[in-house]
Parts: sequence; structure tokens; C-alpha cells
Amino acid sequence: MRLRAGHLWLVLAIAAPQSQAFRIEYGADRPPELVACDQALYTGQRAEARSCYRALLATHDDVRIKAEAARSLGDLRAANGFFQTAVETWPEDPAVRTRWGDLFVETHQDNEAVRLYQESLELAPDHVPAILGLARISAGRFEDRTREWIDEILDLDPDNVGARLLLARMSLEEGEVDEGDAQLERALEIVEERGLPPLEVHALKASVDLLRGTDQSPWTDRALAYNAGYGEIHATPAHFYVITRRYREAAELYRRAVDIQPDLWAAHAELGVNLLRGNCEDPEATVAEAQRHLALAYRGDPFSAQTVNTLRLIDSFDNFAVTRHGSAVDEAAAEPGVILRLHTDEDLVLRPYVLELVNRSIETFAERYAFELNEPVIAELYPEHDDFAVRTAGLPGIGLLGVTFGCLVAMDSVSARGEGDFHWGTTLWHEMAHVFTLRATNHLVPRWFSEGVSVYEEWATGPLPGRHIPLHVFEAIGEDKLLPVAELDQGFIRPTYENQVVVSYMQAGLICEYIAANWGQTSLQAMLVHYREGLETGEAIERALGVTPEQFDAEFEEYVAAEFGAVLDSLEPWQRARGAAWDSAAQGAWNEALAQASRAIELFPDYVDEGSAWLVKVRAHDELGEDEAALRTLREYRRRGGYAPAALMQLAGRLDEAGSDAEAIAVLEDVIQVAPLQEELHVRLGDLLLDAGRPDEALVEYQALAAMNPHDQASVHFRLAQAWHALEDLDLTREHVLHALEIAPHYREAQQLLLEIVR
Amino acid sequence: MVDPAALGPAVKALAAIAAGLLAAAPVAQAELYYLIVGGLGGEAAYDDAFAAHTESLAEAALRTVGEESQVAVLAGADASRDALRASLVALAEQTGEADSLAVFLVGHGSYDGTEYKFNLPGPDIDGSELGALLAAVPARTQLIVNSTSASGAVLEDWSAENRTVITATRSGAERNATRFAEHWAEALSADESDLDKNGVITAQEAFDYTSRRVADSYESEGTLATEHPQIAGDTATRFDVARLVARIADTPQMQALIERLDGLEEQVAALRLRRNEFPVEEYQAQLQGLLVELALVQQQIDEAGAQ
Repeated sequence: MRLRAGHLWLVLAIAAPQSQAFRIEYGADRPPELVACDQALYTGQRAEARSCYRALLATHDDVRIKAEAARSLGDLRAANGFFQTAVETWPEDPAVRTRWGDLFVETHQDNEAVRLYQESLELAPDHVPAILGLARISAGRFEDRTREWIDEILDLDPDNVGARLLLARMSLEEGEVDEGDAQLERALEIVEERGLPPLEVHALKASVDLLRGTDQSPWTDRALAYNAGYGEIHATPAHFYVITRRYREAAELYRRAVDIQPDLWAAHAELGVNLLRGNCEDPEATVAEAQRHLALAYRGDPFSAQTVNTLRLIDSFDNFAVTRHGSAVDEAAAEPGVILRLHTDEDLVLRPYVLELVNRSIETFAERYAFELNEPVIAELYPEHDDFAVRTAGLPGIGLLGVTFGCLVAMDSVSARGEGDFHWGTTLWHEMAHVFTLRATNHLVPRWFSEGVSVYEEWATGPLPGRHIPLHVFEAIGEDKLLPVAELDQGFIRPTYENQVVVSYMQAGLICEYIAANWGQTSLQAMLVHYREGLETGEAIERALGVTPEQFDAEFEEYVAAEFGAVLDSLEPWQRARGAAWDSAAQGAWNEALAQASRAIELFPDYVDEGSAWLVKVRAHDELGEDEAALRTLREYRRRGGYAPAALMQLAGRLDEAGSDAEAIAVLEDVIQVAPLQEELHVRLGDLLLDAGRPDEALVEYQALAAMNPHDQASVHFRLAQAWHALEDLDLTREHVLHALEIAPHYREAQQLLLEIVR
Repeated sequence: MVDPAALGPAVKALAAIAAGLLAAAPVAQAELYYLIVGGLGGEAAYDDAFAAHTESLAEAALRTVGEESQVAVLAGADASRDALRASLVALAEQTGEADSLAVFLVGHGSYDGTEYKFNLPGPDIDGSELGALLAAVPARTQLIVNSTSASGAVLEDWSAENRTVITATRSGAERNATRFAEHWAEALSADESDLDKNGVITAQEAFDYTSRRVADSYESEGTLATEHPQIAGDTATRFDVARLVARIADTPQMQALIERLDGLEEQVAALRLRRNEFPVEEYQAQLQGLLVELALVQQQIDEAGAQ
């Protein structure tokens, strides 16, 4: 075959310190001279192992052995050179290419590795190490293909330890603990039979214990007896703490890992990332410690995108303002306190609204879930979506809006999504509910229940009233795609059809709504208590609700049919009427648009989201000069949870004209939850509040306006002066009115105020 | 010169009101003349938008000068190349060196790398010809606002002494339909664009307001801006393009008050320049003294004007 014209080694320009790579080799074809060195490494005799590898590197004739020795010594540049030579020398040898591919995996260059594995398989389609390499990369990418690769390996080599360990790890990650343990038992038999190092098996067995609630695993002692410097015995279980959202426990294990194996760079990186997720008491110290470990990780492994991105993110924290509120600054205060990290460009604009919502959510959920937080909550809003993504997953490109790590909420800011599309208030409310479900269960709540409570609370108590269910979810309900409650987690973790995750969110929300409606809010509290006790969903339902999961599923199906039967039956005619309404509107046929929109609303009045018929109806009334009907329609649209900023601004304007100032204020306050970066909003709301004799609230609006650095500075200072005047603060009134007149000496209203305060 | 067919009812009504309001104003030696041209939309949505912007600009112009004879509007089918040529030739005959000229072009423009064209019903007019026609108008102070796509192509060619040229785009390469005219029309009647609150909007104030609104509109949509307004010339801060309130000076006493007001305003401006020379308290005290006096004079002017 033709040798590829050079696998580029672009990143080697970055100097990496040498460290001793630790990867356990299970292959029977491992050259014996390397096995001798490996054995010293596996048993913790690092100095001896280094001498052994060095000797091979210096004296051995075979570049393949030299490549392996260099790689084991951590000299990846040298290893790469030797592998390149080896491939040139033995172009038909699939093993050389596979081993070279493994080296690329170590430097996070998976695509290069995949090409080499594929080249190996072109030479020898049954070359198991290459298939295993592909399977490992595929598993890291959560691809469905992984299990096919593993099955193929086990068909060819049923005792392949690497494949069984990969299978075990995947099963544990998916919550199939028994299945994973069975694989480990088989792997353990094989390694014992063959005298192979049992360290990885032990680390995964310790993880099994952890997932079963035992944090003091005997497998840890066994591994440490075999090799006292084997950091993975802590780092591997730590990974399972991370995926079950117990970040503090994970950080503690990663600390132990790097204590006994200081050059375990991945553990330093994970420690840094998880420290950033877990500690809300002293965020500055936590960030500093995280940065220290990430910097160490970077020095040891400069190729990790996650490490580099997270270090850059920490650097960008300089652009964020951290403010403490409540008992976060005053220990005597009753509430747990709140810490906000907002970008300096947005801090002064958003802070009052974010703080108000966070405080209100804490008060609401503490009462509804009978649980008091005992530490501050940190809320971070990122104006750049990729920064939020890095904060969440270490990598850009995720499609989430917000994430909760326990006491810490990170989410997109309004400016990350474009105003009007993103109801930030609802997202924050949703995430704050997670804070309670996670903390109340010591992070043992299953994903579906935590999401369910959050979605249910969005609908029941959030800043946007009513259910907001995407249309494709109704289609999924109609196609009987909802899962049994005991299996609902799978809809989040292992979706089997497009949009199943969203369907699962909505199903979980409806389940919680149904539980609260049928058994009362306290039954949701009881579920949390049972999860905290370590019960699975089936048991928690039986204990809290007194029905079996099967009975629950049957009754829930009836609930869904009762709630949505009519909508499901009329989905098609509703779609037709809605489409016709918009088409008629586009053609300016307003009477027809009105008729079609009214028909659509009659069939499905609660649909207020994108493309809602309510919006066409408003426009049609508007065009037909039916002002009162337009006002009525806008009111009803809002009452049902409609939140299009332009429609709400129009409603506020009409209410203002009609003299309904209090309602206009409430409407404009709703707009803040979706589009707070409009100057006009703060002007109108502030003016209405000032007129309504609520100068303290008007001041908040004017201060937000001032923070947006609006074009007309004189007006802003005049408004601030008016608010301070109403609050009887003469000094600040004078300061702002002088500022207004300094900019605009002819500003008559400001002149009047100045004359009033100096008289 | 106003083409009645091109003006909407609102403009006609405003013209009447404005004429009434300023009836008492003394005849000034120098006059301000407007020429507003709404070009070819090419499709209904653009035709409607251009007509609305043109009408809005005409309203502001009438509100400002109060004389229909000083506001020429070409819109719709009447905005042909010949009509535009004729209007500019007429302005060349009508205006004197002491007068001022404000020209607003609304619509689509194009640039082929060599020549800019303003799209009109029938044949387009090219940038060179328009430049020559404008140069032939003797009015010494000129403001040319070209809000069309690709308008940046003429920025340099049309620049001249005592002339401010404003374009919607940075160059001829920005070829998408612009939003400039909509916001410029808004600026001429918005309190918000009157930054110094003197009731008069200068070309610079209108440009600042418009530029910001244009940028905000793209930013709020999360889209890349396809127009970047430009300004050339140094008369924009002195060129009043729209008046929000009428200042009436018809008596020697009023004239004296206005002179006093202007003097105080100059003192405030001078003090602002020296603000770093004083402690904050002292600066504020001095500022307050001047502003209180200015407010009292303003009050006298307003009371006299209301009588």
C-alpha cells in the first residue's frame, strides 16, 4: 500500500516535559524485552522501569522497540520519529501503524489515530488492536458503533482484556452496574490466568463499589498493594463521581490520585475542572487551586483541548465582575447567600434582575421542597456561548442553555442567544430548581427526576406561566413514544430517535406535574428524600406514591390522554388553520387571517410559542382597526404564557394608553425576562414606575439604562435625578441634574428640576 | 417646488402648521433649501418603505423651514432622472451663496467598481453627474445625505469645502439594501437624537443617532452589519437639519435674552473644558451657578414666547 505522505506532528512545537507514560499492555504479542520493563513500571518500580526503557532506547536495533521505549519514557517526539521510520521500514505491518495510532491518541489527535487504525485494517481486516483503537475513540465520542466494534473483537478474541474493560466501563457509565461488573469478573479471571497486571480491573471494581454506595473499596487497597503509585485507582472512580454529578467527592479522589502519582496529568486536569464545579463557599480560592492544577496538567500534556480551553476561560474571568449578596457577605443573614459572576459589559444591567430571580427561586423552592440550602449559590452568565460551553464541558460547541453543578449554575446570557429567542428567566429558574433537587438528594437524584422537577417548576412557579411544549413532543406522544417511568433516564442518556431528549424533558415535567396534582407537592419532597436514601426510581415511586411503577405508568397515560387528547386529535386541523392564518397575513388578507387564527386558537389555545396564531390574530385586529379586540387578544396571549417581546411591548403601550399603568408595568417586567437589553424597555418601565410612586424600582431601571451607555446621556441623568429626587436624596439629585445640564444646557425639564432644588 | 402628488396628507398638514408657527419669524437673509428624492424600490416592500421615509423626511424639512417653496420632494414615478436634473438646475438658479442646501437620497444605489448609480424609475443617474449638478448649486453650505446601498462609493468624490457628505455605507462594495434612511428619518423627530436638548437637531446629532441605531439593529439580530455609515466634512455640527421646537425672536428684548442665553451656554462650554482644573465641589458649584442663571433666562424666553 502507499504510505501516506507524512502524518503531521504539528503540535510537537510545544515543548512537553517528559513523563513516564503508564498504559497497561495486555497483548500477548508484546516483545519480551518490553514486557520486562513494563512489569517494573506496573509494580511501581519507576526508576527501574526508566533504566530498563532507557537501555532499550540506547541499545536496541529495532526501531519498533525504540519507539515503544521512547513512548514509555514519555518522549513522544522521539517515539513519533521512530514510528515514522518503522512504518517506512515495515509498510505492510498493521501492528506498527496501530501502535503509532495509539501514540496519536495519547496526544488527543484522534482523527490521525483513526486514519492509522483504518490503514492497519486495510492491511489486516482482523487486526484486533486496531479495532480496539477504533472502539476506544468511538466510545469517547459516544457513537453507537462502539458496541459493534467490541462485539467484533470478542468474536475474534473472546478473552481480549482491553475490549472487556472498555465494555465494562461503558456499562458502568450507562448505569448498568451489574452488567459492567460481570465483564470485570471475566476480565479479572483472564488477567489472573495470564499473570497480567490487575490494576485497571481493580480501579473499575472500585468504581463498581462506588456506584453501589461503597466508597471504601477493598479493590483500592489491593491495587495500592500492587503499585502504591497507581493514581488511576482513585482517578477512575472519580470519573464515576463526575458522571453522577458528585463533583466535590470527585475532586477529593482526584486529589488523592495526584498525591500518589504527581505526573498523572489527566487527573490534574480533571481536578482543576471539577474544583471549578464544586465549591461555592470560597470561589476565588477554588479558582486559584483549579488554575494551579490545570497549569500543571498543561505542562505535562499541552495537547489537551479541554485543559487549554479551561485555562483560557479562567483567564477570561478577569472580564467578569463577582458580586456577593445576602449571607455571602453577611454571615448573620438567614439565607444562604448568592454570588453572581457576570461579564463586566453586562453586570450593571443584568445584576438586579438576576439577583431578584435567584433570591425568589431560593425562597420558592425552599418552601416547596422543604429544603434549606446551607451554602451560597453561584450564578454565572456567559455572553459568549462558547465560554459557557467550555465552562460546562471543556469544549465549545454544545447545544445547552444552562447547567447546574450543585451549588453552581452556569448559563448563556441573553446576549449569547439573541434577544427575543431566549427566555433567560425561565432558564435560570429551571437551573435553580436543579440546585435544590441535587443538593436535597446529595446529588443522588436521577437525571429524569431532576429535569422533571425543573420543567414542572418552570410551568408552575417560573417567570413564564403555562406549559411550553414543542410541537414534535405532541407528535411523539401521539406515536406512543413516551417511556416507562423506571426507564425514563434512558431517554436522556441513550436517546434512540431524534429529539428524544426534548421529549424526555417534557415527559419528566408532565410526570412531576401529575405527581403534584394527584398526590400533592409533598410527594415530590418524599421522592427526593427516597433518592437521598439511595433508592432507585421504582422503589421511590412505590414508597412515596404507594403504587408500582407499572400502575403509575398506566395512570400517567390516562392523565396525558385527558390533558392532551383533544389537542392530539386536532393537531392536523390546527396546523392547517395556523398555516393559513400566517399565509393570509402575508397576503394582507386580514379578515381571512383573523378567521383562520381564531379557528387555530379555538383548537389549541395554549400554543403561544413560535408561530403562534395569537400573534396573527393581534396583527389582524390591528390592521382592521379593532383596537379593543387587539388589546383583549394581547392580554390573553400573555396570560397563557406568550412572551414575544414585540407583542408584550405593544401590549404595554396599549395598556399605558388605556391608563392601566399597573398592568403595563407588570407586562414590561415580563419583557425583562426575555429581552432586558432594550433601552426603550427601561425608559418606559422606569417612567411608569416613577409615575406610579415607586421611585426605588424606577431607579433600578434607570441605573440599568445608564449601564447600557445609551446615546442620549442627558436624558438618563435627568431620569436618575428625578428618581433620586423622589427618594429625597438631594445630593444625588443635584449631581445627576447637573450632569444632565452639563451635557444639554437647554434641557428644559432638567432646568426646572435644578431650579426646584436650589430654591 | 413641492410636488403635491408626492406628499402624503401628513406632510401637507404639517406644512400648514409649520407655516403658521413661523409666520411671525423675520425674513432671514439666508435660507435653507431641501431636496428629498425617493428612488426606485423595485418591489412593493421597498417602494412602500422608501415612500414612508421620504414622507417622513419631508415632514421634518417642512417643520424646520416652514416654507413649502423651500422643500422639493421627488417620489414614486415622479422621481425620474430628468425630474432630478430639473430640480437641481432649479436650485442652482434659486439659491444664492448665502443659502444652505440639504439633499437626501433614499433608495437603492449600485456600484460597478467604476461608477455609482442612484436607481430611479427609468434611467438611473450616475454619481458623477449628480456630483456635477450639486457643485453647480451656489448655496455655500451643503449637506448631502446619500442613504442608498453602495453610497460609500461617492463619499470622496462628492466631498467639498463647506459641504458635509453622509453615506449609509463605507464603500461601493456594501451593496445590500440599507436601513440608514429609516433611522435618519426617525432621528429628525426624536428627542433622543437632540443630545444637547436645544430643540434643534444638527447633522452631526442625526448622524450619531442614526449610526448607532443602524449598528444596534444588526447587533440585536445577531447578524453582521452590511452597512457602516460615514461622514465627511466639518460643517455637520453647525448644520441644523431639523427643528423640534420653534424659537421665536421677534423683539429686541427677546433678542437680548437669546444673546444672554448663548453667552451663558458658551460659559458652560468653556467651564467644561477646564473641569480638571478644579476640585469637584468647586466645579459643580460654578457649573450650578451658570446653569441656574441659564435656566432662569430660558424661563424668561419661554414666557415671552408664550405671550
